[in-house]
Amino acid sequence: MNTTDAGIALRSGRRMRSRRRSLPAAWKETGVGYLFMLPSLLLFAVFLFYPLLKSVYLSFFLTDPRGRVAEFVGLDNYTGLFGSPDFWNSISITLKFTAFTVPAGLLAALALAALTHVKTRGMRLFQFIFSLPVALSVSTASVIWSMLYHPTTGTLNYFLSALGLPPVQWLTDPSWALVSVSIMTVWMNSGFTYIVLLSGLQSIGDDIFDSARMDGSGPIRTFIQIIIPLLSPTLFFLSVVSIMNAFQSFGQIHILTKGGPAGSTDVFVYSIYQEAFVNYQFGTGSALSLVLFAFIMLLTFLQFRFAERKVHYH
Amino acid sequence: MKAMKLRAGLPLATAGLMVLLAACGNNTANEGNKAGDKGNAAAVTTANANTAATDTKANDTAQTESAKEPVKVVWWHSMSGELGKAVTQLVSDFNAAHPDIQVEEVYQGAYDDSLNKLKASMDSKSGPSLIQVYEIGSKFMIDSKAITPVQDFIDADSYDVSNLEGNILGYYTFDNKLYSMPFNTSNPILYYNKDMFKAAGLDPEKPPATYEEVKKAAEALTKNGKSGASFAIYGWFMEQFFANQGAEYDNNGNGRTAAATQSLLNSDAGVKTLTWWKDLVDSKVALNLGRKTDDTKKAFLAGQIGMTLDSTASLRGIVDGAKGKFEVGTAFLPKPDGVSDGGVVVGGASLWIMNNKSADEQKAAWAFIKYLAEPATQAKWHINTGYFPITKKAYDEQIVKDNMASYPQFKTAVDQLHATKLSPATQGAVMGVFPEARQIVEGAIEEAFNGQKDTKQALDDAAKAITEKIETYNKTVK
Repeated sequence: MNTTDAGIALRSGRRMRSRRRSLPAAWKETGVGYLFMLPSLLLFAVFLFYPLLKSVYLSFFLTDPRGRVAEFVGLDNYTGLFGSPDFWNSISITLKFTAFTVPAGLLAALALAALTHVKTRGMRLFQFIFSLPVALSVSTASVIWSMLYHPTTGTLNYFLSALGLPPVQWLTDPSWALVSVSIMTVWMNSGFTYIVLLSGLQSIGDDIFDSARMDGSGPIRTFIQIIIPLLSPTLFFLSVVSIMNAFQSFGQIHILTKGGPAGSTDVFVYSIYQEAFVNYQFGTGSALSLVLFAFIMLLTFLQFRFAERKVHYH
Repeated sequence: MKAMKLRAGLPLATAGLMVLLAACGNNTANEGNKAGDKGNAAAVTTANANTAATDTKANDTAQTESAKEPVKVVWWHSMSGELGKAVTQLVSDFNAAHPDIQVEEVYQGAYDDSLNKLKASMDSKSGPSLIQVYEIGSKFMIDSKAITPVQDFIDADSYDVSNLEGNILGYYTFDNKLYSMPFNTSNPILYYNKDMFKAAGLDPEKPPATYEEVKKAAEALTKNGKSGASFAIYGWFMEQFFANQGAEYDNNGNGRTAAATQSLLNSDAGVKTLTWWKDLVDSKVALNLGRKTDDTKKAFLAGQIGMTLDSTASLRGIVDGAKGKFEVGTAFLPKPDGVSDGGVVVGGASLWIMNNKSADEQKAAWAFIKYLAEPATQAKWHINTGYFPITKKAYDEQIVKDNMASYPQFKTAVDQLHATKLSPATQGAVMGVFPEARQIVEGAIEEAFNGQKDTKQALDDAAKAITEKIETYNKTVK
């Protein structure tokens, strides 16, 4: 994720005070700097900048069934998008999906990290277990959950029937499908979020905990009034990254629901995939992906502009 | 944006591979992107032959040997699991019998994935000589202008097609030209649980044949936590229900007299079918288990539903899966009451010869196709899979007779094929946007099921969406 690098660079950029130096020395230094950046810049150029420019180019054209440029249509692809109900549907689905997964994922990981960062025997084991989802690829996790969710032979419905409850059509009922995919996503992302939060907690010095205890602050109050503010940089970073992740979710949708039933899980990236790689319309597909790009950029900008003020770097 | 990254990465990776290949073949084949450039094709073919040769021999001898190398045919297919094993067997039998040709089979994932890989390879030499494409990819293959119709080889060879099943050839024949050779063909049949039929007081030898009868049977079967039926929300079934009423799916004779310009999904045939289907689900005598036939199959084998629809290609798996649990019955696809004409469309896939390979390679691919169409080959294929033979002669083979005797269920699909009269409706619809159309139809069925739209509205909207897609497609195909 190059976005994380950007986040870190931005943060450290605030703390760097550039001092004036003599020009040649400065050049030499920046030259060396660029030299070190060259390999990644080259990679970015090939895998990011070029495709981005190509997407911009393609978005003004229609492509034939083989994906070759067929006809210049100007802004038609964009106007077509904004006039299509599917486009607005996928935007609202994506926003819902983000709302379902990001706060829940952060809270769950925070709770687990808070519970497991105490130094007692056996805690290592729990830390290991809670970090496990990190080791699974999206597709593996999706296949596992598709078995859990299976309408007739699934584990979840088996437990429901054991409790005497009617089975739930997890993935085939439109009112459940997005919730089911979200539950699976929260679980899947919890590993990474948990590890980051745990290391954030462990970097807080013991002296802070000690002095809080001396002043008679209870564990809950300590956590809410002292620990959370100290964790705020980590939480901010995680919320930015999680929102980007949520906006770019694809694998679990593709494997679990294929955007169905009746478009109820048709998130943005899935509709891009449909348009570009099922329908072979690279024109409209590119237009869609550029809209997504602009959207995520705007969101990230807003987060840095407003949410970061609440962040306390110490 | 991830998807975009992938797209740029692929050609690069392939380019890198090509360079490596050329290098290790000690050959300076320039990897140009000029499709149809015969000289280049020859260079790449020798590069390939050389790479194959370097595995066993030193480079210098490879150069002299390459003249006598067998012609290599690369076949992309989408047959996995049991079907994949059967394919591997067919290929090794062929290679053993034809020392001058070397067929290399490559499994390229599901039909959709394989077709996407083909699209990505079309402007380079990295594609196959022969590819298996599902029936609804036919129009794309023709419009791509990247294939040699098998009719050309049939004419040059004076190959006799009179023994092949007319109903199967019908699907792949456009303007009286056979474009591809059918290989694995199927149609949908009704599977039912005979034991559940008996328990419900129904006659297990008289399966339901009409929509009305299906509903009655489902009502009788629904009890003790079991459900009467479950049909996967699969666009293919809708297409088949249309054909089974003799109704066309697209205008212009199902897109066969001229390119289709309009979807007829919202015609009477569609409304009748969806109304019946939704009514089954609403009246709680059928379950909605979503889009995957795998899920309905599981439920059927677990004895949770009495009836289901599935392809004949699943027959072997279903019969074997139900062994010792219950007896499986098979019947024709049901029709609305009072409909007499119509029949089923051939499903499955066919084999296409790509035109960017050398003439020798294309001929070799044709030789392999002829082998696959032989009665003995088709007989083996049929009994191992459940796909029916494309040649009538296969039924004279002893193994097929034995198989029919021990598995009478295999007969249903064959009878249904033979009972079908060929018309534009039963030849099947042809449109370039079929894969998308299928998904749109599936979405519409879901919308109707959960009451987001009424039946007619859901079909109207879907027909409109498909028509728009067809318009865009027709605009880009010149």
